[in-house]
Amino acid sequence: MAPGIFYHDDPAWSDVEPIPQEDGEHPLAAIAYTDEYSEAMSYLRAVMAQNEYSERGLELTEHIINMNPAHYTVWLYRSKTLEEIGADLHAEIKWLNPTALKHLKNYQIWHHRQIIVNKLDSSEGEADFIATMLEQDNKNYHVWSYRQWLVKRFGLFSKPEELQWVEGMIEEDVRNNSAWNHRWFIVMGGRDGKELPEAILKRELDYAKYAIRKAPQNQSPWNYLRGIVRYAKLPLSVLKAFTLEFADLARPDEVFSSHALDTLADIYAEENSQKEEAKKALDLLATKYDPIRANYWNYRKKLLDQPEAVS
Amino acid sequence: MSALAGQDQELPQPPPPPRPTLQEVTAAEDRIEELSDSEWESQDSEAQDSDTMATPKITPSEYVRSVTIPIQDKLATGTTEVQDETLEAVLPFLQGNPNDFELNMFGLPTLRKEAHIKFLKHALGRYPSNFAAMDAARPWLLYWSLQGLTALGHDVSEYGERVVSTFAPFQHPTGGFGGGHGQLPHLACSYAATLSLIIVGTPSAYDSINRRTMWHYLGRMKQPDGGFTMCPGGEEDTRGAFIALVIISLLNLPLDLPPDAPARKTGLTTFLDHLGDWIGRCQTFEGGISAAPGNEAHGAYAFCALGCLSIMGAPASTFNKYLDMPRLLHWMTARQSAPEGGFHGRTNKLVDGCYSHWIGGCWPLVEAAGYTNIWNRNALARYILAAAQFKKGGLVDKPGKRPDAYHTCYNLAGLSAAQWRFAYDGGVEVEGEVGKGDLGAAFCWRVEGEWEDQRVWGEGDTVRVVHPVFVVPWGKAEEARRYFEEKEGF
Ligand SMILES: [Zn+2]
Repeated sequence: MAPGIFYHDDPAWSDVEPIPQEDGEHPLAAIAYTDEYSEAMSYLRAVMAQNEYSERGLELTEHIINMNPAHYTVWLYRSKTLEEIGADLHAEIKWLNPTALKHLKNYQIWHHRQIIVNKLDSSEGEADFIATMLEQDNKNYHVWSYRQWLVKRFGLFSKPEELQWVEGMIEEDVRNNSAWNHRWFIVMGGRDGKELPEAILKRELDYAKYAIRKAPQNQSPWNYLRGIVRYAKLPLSVLKAFTLEFADLARPDEVFSSHALDTLADIYAEENSQKEEAKKALDLLATKYDPIRANYWNYRKKLLDQPEAVS
Repeated sequence: MSALAGQDQELPQPPPPPRPTLQEVTAAEDRIEELSDSEWESQDSEAQDSDTMATPKITPSEYVRSVTIPIQDKLATGTTEVQDETLEAVLPFLQGNPNDFELNMFGLPTLRKEAHIKFLKHALGRYPSNFAAMDAARPWLLYWSLQGLTALGHDVSEYGERVVSTFAPFQHPTGGFGGGHGQLPHLACSYAATLSLIIVGTPSAYDSINRRTMWHYLGRMKQPDGGFTMCPGGEEDTRGAFIALVIISLLNLPLDLPPDAPARKTGLTTFLDHLGDWIGRCQTFEGGISAAPGNEAHGAYAFCALGCLSIMGAPASTFNKYLDMPRLLHWMTARQSAPEGGFHGRTNKLVDGCYSHWIGGCWPLVEAAGYTNIWNRNALARYILAAAQFKKGGLVDKPGKRPDAYHTCYNLAGLSAAQWRFAYDGGVEVEGEVGKGDLGAAFCWRVEGEWEDQRVWGEGDTVRVVHPVFVVPWGKAEEARRYFEEKEGF
């Protein structure tokens, strides 16, 4: 529709009787819509009430989305229309790209994209587009969730490019927890709990350790490291030598990572004879290295006196 | 971010002020520190005149030092850059009183109830045309405002009839509520509408909900794997699971799936089938809980998951059955920002006032499961009182941000979690015998009293009790359930 022309003046819409918004008396949190928005919505209500799925309906949704991209109804109606009229879905993706970039935090766009890409049955171009989006906001939850859907839908778990890409994201910001979560997803997520091959286990342990050495006070790789050890059903003591590099009870004034102390406490707790050492580590956390969580560290100390709670 | 609402609020905002250099900030901090120390002394000398003040105190600057992690990595990345900026924005508020708010006996700003009430009443009013992006979120604007007002002790009965008439055209003929007249039904809108009507709590509000079509609508959201989608063909995440159970439980709907529920074709017969296992699959390697299996652990989705399990049964049984609790506690504890004291939603993200509820609200639930006194209530209360109150009313994500109804509602709900102690009376006879039928677990809570240990809020800074599971004023959920239990059929 040409700018400045309203639907009621448009011969292409002359057969439609718009349904104005019913708001009741003195509605709360009412919005003083522009005439343009208000009219477009009245026509949307009308075509939806008629279950009309048409090219002009598609244009109408585009018009409304430009004014309010957070309108889930319009998105749902749009994807239903695309399906019903057998629209060109490649064209839809092309249209979606700039729209998504413009409305970075929008939720609906990503779900819509998922529906389209699922129907297209091809993930071609999607990785590049996601990369562009993450350049703007590298922890965007919807974008990462969409990437995970993509990996699962198209079986990209063991694709070397996927691992390379996420490694690049971690390289760029080693504290990007969303990237660490994605690494976990592609390495462990597709395994359904199946045993990790020795080579991959070693690769992942090494990678997390390498990242920790860059910035030991970064919790993301610590969570990852301990996650792998748990997944592989190894005793925590396999991390002892490494952990001592950053926190050693013999040098309580030279602790380089509270997360190392935390891990050390668990390592000692696992070795039944070392409970006093575990308590010392927890004391250091509670009194010096992570005092805002003192209640938690003290709670962990209490657990040490209840042997059954540790296992 | 407003995860439960399914959208971030992209509201028009003034451009941010130019970022000061580190030197400027440090200089300002020193100034505020001096100022606050001297203010402190004058407070203290007053205190000596009164024999009611016995609590030992530390100055705000001493407090900040006492909760700071004394380790900092040298490597700078995008994450540390925004973390540093955030700390620069928050510290002056923790160490001083840049807004010149009235201080309580602990030297912290009082909870400015009147200003926040005014803000929320305004949030129920008319919005200009550039708020069109909120057109599908009007149910939320009503819920956040009404819930926030009641937490502040404001009587919302003046709005009762208007709440009912506002929502009337939002209800869809096929069941559930949409974001407005002619909009498709959606679980997020259905949740906000149901809670708003229950806060109003009149027979006409209760009866305005079509429970039979709601039951059918919820049935269409149930998925073969046990979870729930947010709308037909929409995303399946822990919000859906929580919202469905909140509505079923409050409205006392049948636990059996309606005959037309598509999930029946795969052999499911009730709303609870496979649900606990599905929630369990959302617990990640970090110990936290994500939107859906495989995603990153996230505070808002964690609250929804724990809320869902708290409706399914006694937290002590459902949490331990479906979750690895030691790892969950480890993750939840780590969400408290130091030294800010407020919460963030994911590992290495920034403190944000709405997580006062999303994470703060998880704590009463795990406490009910037997894991008590693990978190730092006082640090959270400090963040809310000192850093999250906007000068002109309303509460914020962090200093420098504009207030909105969402952050106001959830900062206040988080304050309730910090200020009140709850007990879970599973199996014990509950007063009025509410919640005897299916999904009655969330009606077995009791308020034990206020938290006292080293508290930093005065009498006037206490909010009304917010129900830990339903996030409505204490008593309202029970009233609604009683009403629907006494009703025959639909
Ligand atoms: Zn927020």
